Amino acid sequence: MSSRRSRQQSGSNRISDDQIIELVSKLRQLVPEIRDRRSDKVSASKVLQETCNYIRNLHREVDDLSERLSQLLATIDADSAEAAIIRSLINQ
Amino acid sequence: MSSLQPNVDSTNSETMQRSNPKKRRKIGHSNSLSLVPWRSETQQRIYSSKLAEALRYVIHRNPPSLPAKSSAGREVRETADRVLAATAKGRTRWSRAILASPLNRWKLRRMHKKVHKASTGLPKKSPETRRRLPVVQKKARVLGRLVPGCRKLTFPNLLEEATDYISALEMQVRAMTALTELLTGGGSLASA
Repeated sequence: MSSRRSRQQSGSNRISDDQIIELVSKLRQLVPEIRDRRSDKVSASKVLQETCNYIRNLHREVDDLSERLSQLLATIDADSAEAAIIRSLINQ
Repeated sequence: MSSLQPNVDSTNSETMQRSNPKKRRKIGHSNSLSLVPWRSETQQRIYSSKLAEALRYVIHRNPPSLPAKSSAGREVRETADRVLAATAKGRTRWSRAILASPLNRWKLRRMHKKVHKASTGLPKKSPETRRRLPVVQKKARVLGRLVPGCRKLTFPNLLEEATDYISALEMQVRAMTALTELLTGGGSLASA
């Protein structure tokens, strides 16, 4: 249905199917769920679904990491934290 | 210490002058954008050092004993997101959206959730109109809600923003994991 709309409209709003396919394939490369399954024919809705799940997982990981970081920052004092960070930056 | 705040102001004023919300970005322009290489180690190091500085600023501002422990995690998360958006140099829509909302994004999310629950009591559309929405459009809408600031984008632009956002999030996870391990190791060394 969306392809029908894009063909009727002319000018800047035309979205070619090839561009969409290209973007979807780029997205497929990023999401590990789909990339590792090695099937060439994955439907667009599946790609979108896995992308949403992946983003939600990443959000949850960041939340957990933030919680742990906040606890760590509260327990150890500021000086040793700064020393550790500076030490790591120098060693890199 | 206050280096984070002026950066935020400058990117805001820049984007206000450049962006025209009425014009839709053509997809041809996307190739000319030099997006941030999120996978490079240099980029991760830049992000880690900025994040460390921002977190030190946050610690020194609040006393070490925070009264509400649940808010500390959220503050860290918001700081991490803002530093991530700043590292993106404001070239992507999601980064501009993060930097442009100083209000607590979590409170807005809770409000949206309440509104959504209230609407389920209303009479739904007839089954014919519901079937007309293709599944892909529904999924695209969900995706637009997940990526900050991308609710009203056209489909190709949304996919573009999503790919950049995913790479940025992966780098954020890597950097914060490294930082956590660092602090865990550094704490034990200092106490010994």
